[in-house]
Amino acid sequence: MAGALPLSKTQKLLHALYYMLLFIFAVFYLLPFWGAVTTSLKSSAEVFTTSPLSFPEKLTLEGYRAAFNHLKKPLLNSLIITAGGTFFSVLLGSICGYAFAQYRFKFDNVIFVLVVSAIFLPYQAILVPLFQTIRRLGLYDTVWGLILAHTAYGIPMMTLLFRSFYGDIPRCIVQQAMLDGYRPWAIYRRIILPSTKIATVTAVVFQFASIWNELLFSLVLTGYDAMPATVSLNQMMGTLAAEWNVQMAGSMWLALPILVLYIIMGKYLIRGYMAGSVAAT
Amino acid sequence: MPSVSIRNLTVAYNKGRTLALDNFNLDVEDGEFCVFLGPSGCGKTTALLCIAGLLVPTTGSIKIGDQVVISEDKKTFVAPQERNIAMVFQEYALYPSMTVRGNMSFALENKKYSKEEIERKVNSIASMLGIEQLLDRKPAQLSGGQRQRVALGRALVRDPSLFLLDEPLGNLDAKLREQVRFELKRIQRRLGVTTIYVTHDQTEAMTLADRIVLMRDGKVVQEGSPKDLYHKPINTFVAGFVGTPRINFLTCDVSVKEGRPYFAFGQSALPGSQALAVTLNGKSCVVGIRPSDFMLVDTTEPEAIKGKVEVVEPLGDEIVVHFTAEDQLLVGKFSAADEEKVNERIAVKVDPDKLHIFDAETGDRIDG
Repeated sequence: MAGALPLSKTQKLLHALYYMLLFIFAVFYLLPFWGAVTTSLKSSAEVFTTSPLSFPEKLTLEGYRAAFNHLKKPLLNSLIITAGGTFFSVLLGSICGYAFAQYRFKFDNVIFVLVVSAIFLPYQAILVPLFQTIRRLGLYDTVWGLILAHTAYGIPMMTLLFRSFYGDIPRCIVQQAMLDGYRPWAIYRRIILPSTKIATVTAVVFQFASIWNELLFSLVLTGYDAMPATVSLNQMMGTLAAEWNVQMAGSMWLALPILVLYIIMGKYLIRGYMAGSVAAT
Repeated sequence: MPSVSIRNLTVAYNKGRTLALDNFNLDVEDGEFCVFLGPSGCGKTTALLCIAGLLVPTTGSIKIGDQVVISEDKKTFVAPQERNIAMVFQEYALYPSMTVRGNMSFALENKKYSKEEIERKVNSIASMLGIEQLLDRKPAQLSGGQRQRVALGRALVRDPSLFLLDEPLGNLDAKLREQVRFELKRIQRRLGVTTIYVTHDQTEAMTLADRIVLMRDGKVVQEGSPKDLYHKPINTFVAGFVGTPRINFLTCDVSVKEGRPYFAFGQSALPGSQALAVTLNGKSCVVGIRPSDFMLVDTTEPEAIKGKVEVVEPLGDEIVVHFTAEDQLLVGKFSAADEEKVNERIAVKVDPDKLHIFDAETGDRIDG
């Protein structure tokens, strides 16, 4: 590295040790993924004759084709549920966060604590009443049922996130917009949202990934019609016994959208994580 | 007709235990440049926020023009959006996502001006402030001084009925501050907009104001023209706050000789104005002497205060001399032409009519 101080021998040795340790950990964490990738590219026959970690002797997309046929509808369901759940939870959480960050009203702190404390409710604790509510609403086994559940469950976290993002916007900017004649809703649309695009991207990625990967709500709130891909993949284990290449290929299909999202949004995301440390002006 | 009338304005926090503003009353005349001056925490910004409608007072009423914007019973409250007030915040509060042009036209868009008219207004104010070349930049790409001008321009472009400025020069360096101060006053004169300006800097207040409202602990201590505050401060707080270098205070015992009061401190005594002889006889009081009211005299002169020179600060055409007399550190300001008279020791006199006499206990001014 240019400009860095020369290192002493002990320091060099320590550095080498650090990197070795990091490398070992990296291998350890990436091994299952590697196994999944190699297995997904093997034929059904080869899966049984070779080690899961070996490179495929003959590359084939057979597993991907089979997995896609199986997951076609669930993947579409997942996409609809995730898009809907992300859109509504981010939108509503952002509006709540705006109100809590920039306006003072009666019992605002009490209400905020109440809303945010829902983050600490474990999934399992609300599962039964949630199931009953969704069924009464006639939304069992519909994508809307899951969109509603994910929206409701996502709002507290999004509210907390957006309140801290919007709290970084100096109050005087909002006050200035008020004096310029704008109402709270217009200030939100024309000042707050455009000033915090990176925050919104961060929230979207966060919500998208957690809703896309979610299993328990989906398991309980859907039957066959609205089943998302996580549940469907889970079921493949029962129905497609030991067809490991197809199952691994299914996992790859499931991981693909998140991977693409991270690659596209990555550069914004890193800036988003640091957004709180820099003043908005 | 006064442009702003404030009656009994009180803002209380902590269930009335802390008063940010305590029964504040004020009339600002149409077109006047009024400065709220005071140390930090004196309530000047609180008063400004109440006028803007950004803070609802605990009690009190405010009238802007002939419109009551908040009534005593709080049944009338005009939202900040409806008050047609332009404000410049200390932090500038520029909209970070918009260009300079966007910032300046934002309020006009809301008022449904035509595109051409907005363009014309923005361009004319921008050229007045010398920021035309910045119109397509974002606030993050501007220097502090440029941001300050944009904030000012954004307020000016609106034709407000009232112009509020909260320490707008606070973040500028000394040179730029002086320049913008001058421009601000010139623009205000030209537009004739009633202006309320908040600052803790007495130089700003003295140079800009038609009228200064000096505040402390949420109360008005004294209001008047800069001259009034400088020449007739009503107590030691005002005398000490206004004027640079700071006024000299001497605690003295008064004795009357041949109908003339003498203010004794140490071995020295300052002769005072005869008019005060009866009121002051035998009392102890605080005498305030402006540094520029000291006159250099010959060291042999009787009744002169003799002192030892500590530090001389040359300011070009003037010199500021710090000297000790009777163990008290005093400051005098003299013409640079007199510099040769300032040696190791100096002697000074003060015109008896220029002494400011205050009660030693209450600090209030005593006039003859």
